[in-house]
Amino acid sequence: MLRHIIAITWKDLKILARNRAALAVLFAMPVGFVLVMTTALGGLFGGGKSAIPVLVVNEDKGYLSTQIIEGLKAAEGFKVETEWEGQSLTTAKAEELIISRKRQLAVILPADFSQNILGSASPSQNLQPQATTIQLMVDPALSPQFTGPIVGTLQGLLLQALTPVGIERLLDQTAPGMSQQQRQAIVEQARQGMLSGTSIEQITPPGMSVRQLPNTTQQNVPSYTLFGVFFICQVIGLSFIREKQDGTFRRLLVAPLSKSALLIGKLLPYYLVNLIQIVLIFAAGIWIVPLLGNPALNLGVHPEGLIVVSLATAAAASGLGLLVAALAKTPEATGGVGALIAVMMAAIGGCFVPAFVMPNFMQTLSKIVPHAWALQGYQDVLVRGYSLGQVMPEVGVLLIFAAVFFGFALWRFRFD
Amino acid sequence: MTKNIVEVDNLVKSYNGIPAVNGVNFAIRQGEIFGLLGPNGAGKTTIISMLTCLLMPTSGKVSIAGHDVANQAKTVKGSIGLVPQDLAVYPQLSARDNLLFFGRIYGLKGQQLRQRVNDLLQMAGLNERANDLVNNFSGGMKRRVNIAAGLLHQPQVLFLDEPTVGVDPQSRNFIFDNIERLNQQGMTILYTTHYMEEAERLCHRVAIIDRGQIIALDTPKALIDSLGGSIIRLGLPETTKQTFIAQLKKLPAVKNISRQDNALLVQTHHSQEALVQIIQLLNTAKTTITTLEILEPNLESVFLHLTGRRLRD
Repeated sequence: MLRHIIAITWKDLKILARNRAALAVLFAMPVGFVLVMTTALGGLFGGGKSAIPVLVVNEDKGYLSTQIIEGLKAAEGFKVETEWEGQSLTTAKAEELIISRKRQLAVILPADFSQNILGSASPSQNLQPQATTIQLMVDPALSPQFTGPIVGTLQGLLLQALTPVGIERLLDQTAPGMSQQQRQAIVEQARQGMLSGTSIEQITPPGMSVRQLPNTTQQNVPSYTLFGVFFICQVIGLSFIREKQDGTFRRLLVAPLSKSALLIGKLLPYYLVNLIQIVLIFAAGIWIVPLLGNPALNLGVHPEGLIVVSLATAAAASGLGLLVAALAKTPEATGGVGALIAVMMAAIGGCFVPAFVMPNFMQTLSKIVPHAWALQGYQDVLVRGYSLGQVMPEVGVLLIFAAVFFGFALWRFRFD
Repeated sequence: MTKNIVEVDNLVKSYNGIPAVNGVNFAIRQGEIFGLLGPNGAGKTTIISMLTCLLMPTSGKVSIAGHDVANQAKTVKGSIGLVPQDLAVYPQLSARDNLLFFGRIYGLKGQQLRQRVNDLLQMAGLNERANDLVNNFSGGMKRRVNIAAGLLHQPQVLFLDEPTVGVDPQSRNFIFDNIERLNQQGMTILYTTHYMEEAERLCHRVAIIDRGQIIALDTPKALIDSLGGSIIRLGLPETTKQTFIAQLKKLPAVKNISRQDNALLVQTHHSQEALVQIIQLLNTAKTTITTLEILEPNLESVFLHLTGRRLRD
């Protein structure tokens, strides 16, 4: 009996050694996953090389704004950009960069920011502190989990700048001859005035109207819907390979049936399954997620956009499924390659980690997978309040993905 | 004279220059059960694949019911049925659902489809299990569903590719009875097998195929009669002298001799007389043998005679 066990074990090890797809699933996928996720989450956790890009528009140019920018630069987890293509950032430029989704966050330090806050601390100018506001311009699709740290850091930097030590340092520079009694009175007056009069206001660029603030539901429902939708590629691939192995595909080819009818007939059910998947996951977002204490999914003001994005996404997923069926030759290979593609594409496309926290090269890389475009399309409707016409660019790209997948699959597909 | 419904002219299929089917010619008459008999790997399935539009020949021509397979594939497909060697049905579906599906593929619908499915379930003896999943069937029952799925559209020519592989004797007889019944109803059948008993029982004519070529084609009786008598297979030690073999050839009851590895295949006019003469010669020549086997005349011995190998080698 032991000999039989050893013989079978050895035989299966040899088979596995020749099965590249199975090896990829067993070894390459976990390694790839670790690499992608570790890199992608570096910015979020602040421990890696990458950081969240933060545009800073300094309309003030005063002492305090300079202190805050230096503080932001020194803080871990942010990559401060005060210039764009060699030019100092303006509010208009920051708006443009956020609308074009090149960046998602901008801190705007208004003109006279330092003067408004420190007015009372400067006897030479004899100004009283005035209320002033730091504007935090954000893409409305940006989750609060990412705006929170920047708001907290800004508040911390303000407090740091406005400590007695900080103000006295300022007085050393602006009024070196002042008596100690005068200095103490001014320090206390300045602190109270500054803190009560300084606020941070979150704004959205014009045209990116916030219909509702993004929340965990709006972030995760479309993300994991897409993750599930593209897993269909594995199921489609296995369906074809089993049909070929069982001989039923051969039987169908002998029937008076066109090849295109055969392929469409094979793919259509999975396309419908994808659409049902999307409806069910979104329905869960609306009705089940609130039962767990989370906000319900809000479909936005133009839910028809979701339908078009879903139709195009399912087409891309079906095309990818046919491609897997065309390339993989065994059920093991199909299962492995299908899962590998589905998981890796979801990771690269921002389904697990929002693309904007990824390093620049990964943000660029995310555009090579349909997930990124589909996710953007969903968030345009759900979070940014975009209309049907405004999501057409994403829909167009998804349809191009579908066409490329189908074209390549048909080129490689073997009917015999 | 009965007309030919299948005509195969100099059919060749090569893979990377190596021929799997090499210049095959035959014709099947309407209403005939025609057998392709040969060992595994002889090229039977490749021939069937070309005849059923699944595989393009490297060269040669095939016509079925007057239609060229290469240029009129759709018309040809409507007139043929294939029962593949694999159990080409969906194990996750019931027998009825399988037949309904394949019936729809062949354009049947409504009452006609339901009636046809019921008839075939009756024919296959699966009425009581019609709604059970095929996955739960025995091998023989699965084979019967496999055959029924090829009959839904009542094809003019039915291709049966080794339909009894892995089937119990009871199901095998059931399948034979049905094939004969279908043939009596006028269906032309091309039957491939490596079981010579099946070819002998079912086929009106048999083409024996080996290494991609037809090496004999006739009725089973004519092929067997061509042997004359039985074949005696003598296992010989390597030390056997050529003089013994020469003397053996001269025996009156011996018709012909051929070599097969370490054995001689002695084709006889009459097996009993030949046996006596061979034993006498062995005594006289003081020659020993390792084995002695009398092979009764059948298609197996015809194949052995023609190729020096057994069908199931």
